[in-house]
Amino acid sequence: MFSELLAPLRSLAEYVDMMPASIAFRESIYVSPYTTVAHVVAMCFFAGLILIMDLRLLGWAFTSTSFSHLQRRLFPLQMLGMALAGVTGLVLTFGDPLRFYGNIFFWTKMCMIALTGINAMAFEYITQDTVPSWDTAQVTPYAAKLAGAVSLFLWSTVIIAGRLIPYNWFA
Amino acid sequence: MLEQFFINMEQWPISKGIGESLWIYPLDQALHLVGMAFLMGAVMIINLRLLGIGITNTSLAQVARGAKPWFIGGMIVMVMTGLPQLMQNASREYYSEYFWRKMYFLAASLIVTAISIRYMTRQSDSAHTTAGSKLAGAVSLLLWVNVIIPARLIGLFT
Repeated sequence: MFSELLAPLRSLAEYVDMMPASIAFRESIYVSPYTTVAHVVAMCFFAGLILIMDLRLLGWAFTSTSFSHLQRRLFPLQMLGMALAGVTGLVLTFGDPLRFYGNIFFWTKMCMIALTGINAMAFEYITQDTVPSWDTAQVTPYAAKLAGAVSLFLWSTVIIAGRLIPYNWFA
Repeated sequence: MLEQFFINMEQWPISKGIGESLWIYPLDQALHLVGMAFLMGAVMIINLRLLGIGITNTSLAQVARGAKPWFIGGMIVMVMTGLPQLMQNASREYYSEYFWRKMYFLAASLIVTAISIRYMTRQSDSAHTTAGSKLAGAVSLLLWVNVIIPARLIGLFT
C-alpha cells in the first residue's frame, strides 16, 4: 500500500536521480558528506533553540524571562537555523531521491515536520493573542504547555525518524 | 595499552549484544541526536547570552542557572547513548582520527562551558556582557561546532 501511495512520485524521483547535478552530488567525495554535516549542525542550532522555547512554554526553564522576550530574541536565529537545515535537507534529497522516496522514516519525518508547522500555526493564531496575560508568569496556562509539549514531542520524532532513514526496515 | 583496551572492549558480551540487536544501535543513535538537541539548546542559550545577542533582559546568573540542569542532563544522555556506540565500534573509533578530534574538542568545550557557567552564576544581576564574555561565547560556540563536525564524519570517512 505504501508503494502504491508513492507511485505518482516514482517518475519524478527517477527524473531527478538522472540529472547530472544529482549524480555529481551523489558521487562527490566531500560535498555530499559535508552537506550532511552542515545539516546536523543546522539542526542543532535550530532544534536547540526550539527546545529552549518549548521548555519556557512548559514552564520548565527560564521562567524569569518573559516569553515575549525569549520569542523575540530567538525567532530570527531559529529561522536562520531552519533555513540552513531546510536548504541542506533539500540538497541531500535532490542528491539521492531514490534512496528517500521509498523510505518510511523519510516520510515519517516529513509528516512530523508538517505537524510541527500546524502546531506553530495553531499557536500563532490562537494562543499568541493570550501571551500578554501570562507573559511573565512562572506557571504557564494549559494552552501554552500543550503547544510546548507537542512541539517537544514532534521535533524529537523528527530527529529520531531522520536518524533512522539509513535503516530502511520496512522496505 | 589504550589500543588493547579498545580492541578488548569490542569483544565484551554487551558490546556484541548491541551489535547483534536490530533495534538497539539505531535507536541509541537516534536518542544521541535528541540528547544533542537539548544539550546544544543549553549551550546556545548560554553562549548567545555571553555574546549579548540572546535573552539580554535576563541576568547572566539567571541564564546560567536556567541552562545548567539541561546542560548537565543533556551531557548525561550523550554519554549514556554514546558509550554503547563506542563499545560496539571500539576498534573503528580507536583508529579514526575523527573520533579523537571529537574527544579533544569535547574536552575543550566542556572546560570552557563549565568555566562560563561558573563565571556567569557569580555575576551580579546588573552585570553586562564584556569583550571578554563575548570572546568566551564565540570561542565556546566554535568549539562545540567542532565537536559535531568530526562526530558526523566518523561514520562517513573510516
